[in-house]
Amino acid sequence: MTRPDHDAERLSAFVDQELDLQSHLAIEREAAADESLRQRIDELRRLRQSIREGATYHAAPSELRARLARLAPAAPVETRASQMPRPSAGRAAVDALSRWLAWRPLAASFAFAALVLATGNVAWLRLQGEERLADDVVASHVRASLGQHVVDVASSDHHTVKPWLSARLDFSPPVIELSLPDSTFLGGRVDYLDGRPVAALVYRQGQHLVTSFVWPASGGDTDPAFARQRGFETAHWVRGGMNRWVVSDLNRNEFRIVVEAMRQQEAAR
Amino acid sequence: MNDEGNWRRFEALALPHADAAYNLAKWLLRNDHDAQDAVQDAFVRALRYIDTFRGENARAWLLQVVRNSCFTWLKENRPAGQTSIDDEEAALEVPGPAAQEPQAIAARQDERARIDAAIAALPFAFREVLVLREFEDLAYKDIARIAEIPIGTVMSRLARARALLRDALAPGARPVLREVPRPTVNGRA
Repeated sequence: MTRPDHDAERLSAFVDQELDLQSHLAIEREAAADESLRQRIDELRRLRQSIREGATYHAAPSELRARLARLAPAAPVETRASQMPRPSAGRAAVDALSRWLAWRPLAASFAFAALVLATGNVAWLRLQGEERLADDVVASHVRASLGQHVVDVASSDHHTVKPWLSARLDFSPPVIELSLPDSTFLGGRVDYLDGRPVAALVYRQGQHLVTSFVWPASGGDTDPAFARQRGFETAHWVRGGMNRWVVSDLNRNEFRIVVEAMRQQEAAR
Repeated sequence: MNDEGNWRRFEALALPHADAAYNLAKWLLRNDHDAQDAVQDAFVRALRYIDTFRGENARAWLLQVVRNSCFTWLKENRPAGQTSIDDEEAALEVPGPAAQEPQAIAARQDERARIDAAIAALPFAFREVLVLREFEDLAYKDIARIAEIPIGTVMSRLARARALLRDALAPGARPVLREVPRPTVNGRA
């Protein structure tokens, strides 16, 4: 009744459920009475299934994703990247996984397990971000005090330390001295925290070392948040566009006095 | 709209379809490096025109831009006559470097590689509609818009693509493209 080609087109569209209702029903009626037609339809369905399950889906490589992210207008992205990098990474992951779930039924259970893990990980990472940074701050402080490498530039004069640090960083850290009894400014070094080079300023308070890390912040000013990490006291705040993390093995009261002195000096600058 | 607003729209509408974009480009250009360049080019254009997008199917809209990038890339980087997407008969005659692959790989009994190679060996016009249908599960009307062809042509190209794949994947199959060995382009001898 029709050209073979035309018939193949109709069957192909029938399998895709793209025929109008009348034609669709007509083929169903024909197939009910025609064994060879049923076989051709089955064959098309098997072919479709083997392509959908068997062919390689080329997900965007991370290199490409990074290139696409760089298309963002320069200024706003800086803020966004530092404020919420993980939610958007999480969205992308969820999107990729939902695609897998949609058309790879065999992989669905694995994908679901991975999704649960990934979601858990993202949440965990967000929760732990601050704590991991605190950990890194303490580790850096401990490494420096264990070795001989407490400071790169040893000077009690902030007029010497500040230009030295500025020349080695992409920002100019505020360098303050402590006006406390028994307090000495030892100097500064360049360290690496939170994925970037930061300024580390080192003080001696009595027998104890105090390290103050400084790098540019994206958010507004915050009050000091105190915490204890592996027996070290830490404090973190943002002021004047600068992150500041302070860490020491001083006892809690002395540590708070030091932090208070730093903040007064900062405010007086 | 300002840059920031455009970027936010782009981030919400286009970026989630990076996988679909790359998958299409990779299947059309058959090369990672070229596919990445084509996708980046497409996203640059998508970002520029994002405020003109009014439809509902952002994925189909984006894939149309990606497809055009790939097509442009092919026109600029392939010798004339090597790729024809308008004339199905001519398209069938394109031998392509991948034409020998199904047979060679079939010997290795690697089902995935066999299917991939069979799809890669399809002429551009058939590969395009097949990828949009089987990988992206797009409706014929969306495929028609992306490939800039009538729905009837989508239907006939899909049927032809499937017939070619069926032959290529049949046990002991000869390479599909051997069946149309005419060495002419656009019907000229």
